[in-house]
Amino acid sequence: MPGPIRVLIAKVGLDGHDVGARVVARGLVDEGMEVIYTGLRRTPEQISAAAEQEDVQVVGVSILSGAHLVLLPRVREALNERGLEQVMLVAGGIIPDSDIPTLEASGIDAIFHPGTPVPEIAAAIKKRIGLTHDIDRTDRNHRNDREERSR
Amino acid sequence: MTRGGDQPGPRDAAEVDLDFFILDSGPTVEPLYTPDSLRSRGIDPERDIGVPAAYPYTRGIDKTPPRAHQPLIKFYTGHAGPEETNDRYRKLVGWGVEQIQMATDLPSQIGFDPDHLMATGEVGRAGVSIASLADMEVAFEGIPLNQLSRVGMLFNCDGPVGLALFVALGEKQGLRVEDYIVDLQNDPLKEYVARGTQFLPIRSALRLACDVVEWCARKAPHWYPLDVCVNHLNAAGAGSTYGTAFALSNAEAYIEELLSRGLTIDEFAPMLMMFLDERDDFFSAVANIRATRRIWADLMKHRYRATDPRSMALQITAYGHGRETRREPLNNIARIAFGTLAYYLGGVQTLYDASFDEVLSVPSDDAARVSVRIQQIIRQEHGFGLTVDPLGGSYFVESLTTDLERGIRKALAEVEEMGGAISAIENGHMRRVIGEGAVRRQKRFEAGLRPMVGVDRNVDNNEGAIAIPLNRVDPAVEERQKERLRQVRAGRDGAHVRKSLAAVLEAARAGSNVVDPCIDAVRAYATVGEICDVFREAFGEWQPSTEF
Repeated sequence: MPGPIRVLIAKVGLDGHDVGARVVARGLVDEGMEVIYTGLRRTPEQISAAAEQEDVQVVGVSILSGAHLVLLPRVREALNERGLEQVMLVAGGIIPDSDIPTLEASGIDAIFHPGTPVPEIAAAIKKRIGLTHDIDRTDRNHRNDREERSR
Repeated sequence: MTRGGDQPGPRDAAEVDLDFFILDSGPTVEPLYTPDSLRSRGIDPERDIGVPAAYPYTRGIDKTPPRAHQPLIKFYTGHAGPEETNDRYRKLVGWGVEQIQMATDLPSQIGFDPDHLMATGEVGRAGVSIASLADMEVAFEGIPLNQLSRVGMLFNCDGPVGLALFVALGEKQGLRVEDYIVDLQNDPLKEYVARGTQFLPIRSALRLACDVVEWCARKAPHWYPLDVCVNHLNAAGAGSTYGTAFALSNAEAYIEELLSRGLTIDEFAPMLMMFLDERDDFFSAVANIRATRRIWADLMKHRYRATDPRSMALQITAYGHGRETRREPLNNIARIAFGTLAYYLGGVQTLYDASFDEVLSVPSDDAARVSVRIQQIIRQEHGFGLTVDPLGGSYFVESLTTDLERGIRKALAEVEEMGGAISAIENGHMRRVIGEGAVRRQKRFEAGLRPMVGVDRNVDNNEGAIAIPLNRVDPAVEERQKERLRQVRAGRDGAHVRKSLAAVLEAARAGSNVVDPCIDAVRAYATVGEICDVFREAFGEWQPSTEF
């Protein structure tokens, strides 16, 4: 049996609105996932470092400042630079529909608008991870340590 | 429960889910209110409702109706560079806007210059980039500050810099502080739990905010140096009842700091405003305003022993909102109009309203003009402004006012028992209430308990029929702002800059008021980032929490 899906919820740039990020973080815990939150004001490099360190399969970036066309592709690049091409990158926030093709072409796997029900986000993640992730994680103790830290 | 369909099927009252009648603000709305509703709540009309412009100010602070004394039409805007913003400001003045509240970008609010790593991608987004006095000069070119009834900005965590920018700009325009009125939000405490532009340790931020109030009390008592905000607390999830309580506790923290400096309550309380907010329900918005005035008046008179009636008469600003949706965005015009009307009828002093495309992007010119027109229609068409507090005396509104007042007082007492706002921020209480509230709202939304027309009701499957043109920020703005910054740095008197920044540092370390040194630094074209770096050097930096 694969272990629970591990998700890093991140705030990139200077945008300080993290209610949505925290609601999604809690909601994904309710969906049986393990969630780590970066806190506010992170650079793409800090986010990719946290993704590597926390060994997550999904990075969810929240951004409402309008800087998404600049910052989201940089998060993808920073992940790829660490060899984390397989990590699913999803984004949520105030993102116009017309920007979605550009973002998808930059390697952002899914984009959710404000108000999207959390189960919908969870379903999209499970679908994608279910397809690509079948590694049996046996390193239980290691993960339990992390759970402690993420609380 | 029907979701997604057009109409719920016919059902009798007993089947209607009672959850629908529970307001986001807390109380449950009853199907009928009568004189008994007032009696059962112990409402004494003379004592609790009274008359306008008299204690306890339930019915408002003005004797005359809005038609004779209209709330100022305020507009919160700014985007891209100062040039684009100036263009918008000129249009706003032409359309009849009386107060411009500058929306500045996040780097300006958090004290990073446009060439800072953290400013990447953020310059001119969500507001205009203001790095120095040079940007202010461009933004207000051709708009003397005294041509507006009031002018201001947020600068919640760098308030002394915001104040200094307006003082120095006024000087450049040949004005004295007596000639114009500045209104700053300058409310850092709520940033730590709801808005997120904090960058200094909380007590240092509180102190800087109070430096601004103190400076105005002594040198510009006709200015409004601090708007204590409910808006962001409510929007983040607190709900308007807890949001109002938290804001009142924040106000108490500022007041206690100012009193400890030897100011009397009547020297500064008349300058304080509250930025109230309830956008989920029309009547809750009206009742929240009336309840908050009553609580404020009581606090001023009985706790702080104010004697000046102006201290007890709370001045209020509000931002007319609905719950705007991305789908069928023109529907937001109706939502915003109802929200704005509630504040108008509640009796606020300055009023702004959202733009229907705001949920999609920085408002376009067309959307901005509609926002101004909404207020002008409320002012002039129908009879909304013909009488003071037209909803006063309604069994429903008075009952709801009292219900909300009790909820706010209870939530305020909880914070006070913890030792006040800073304790409730540091021990996680405010953040917990906000987080739980956000989850509760999301669940109610997902359950369809707060219907959204066009989203979970009356859905048009040919969605997208009306395209809204998006207002884009040109990526070249960031480069242009970096270039202006280089020019400013190259053209200024370096010795004056260094000396003035050293004076800011000395005042910050000594615990004396930093506003005058900040004004001198801004005059010398020291940048927002440079002055904020001095604050960081003096006070240290705030560290983010990873709890959720």
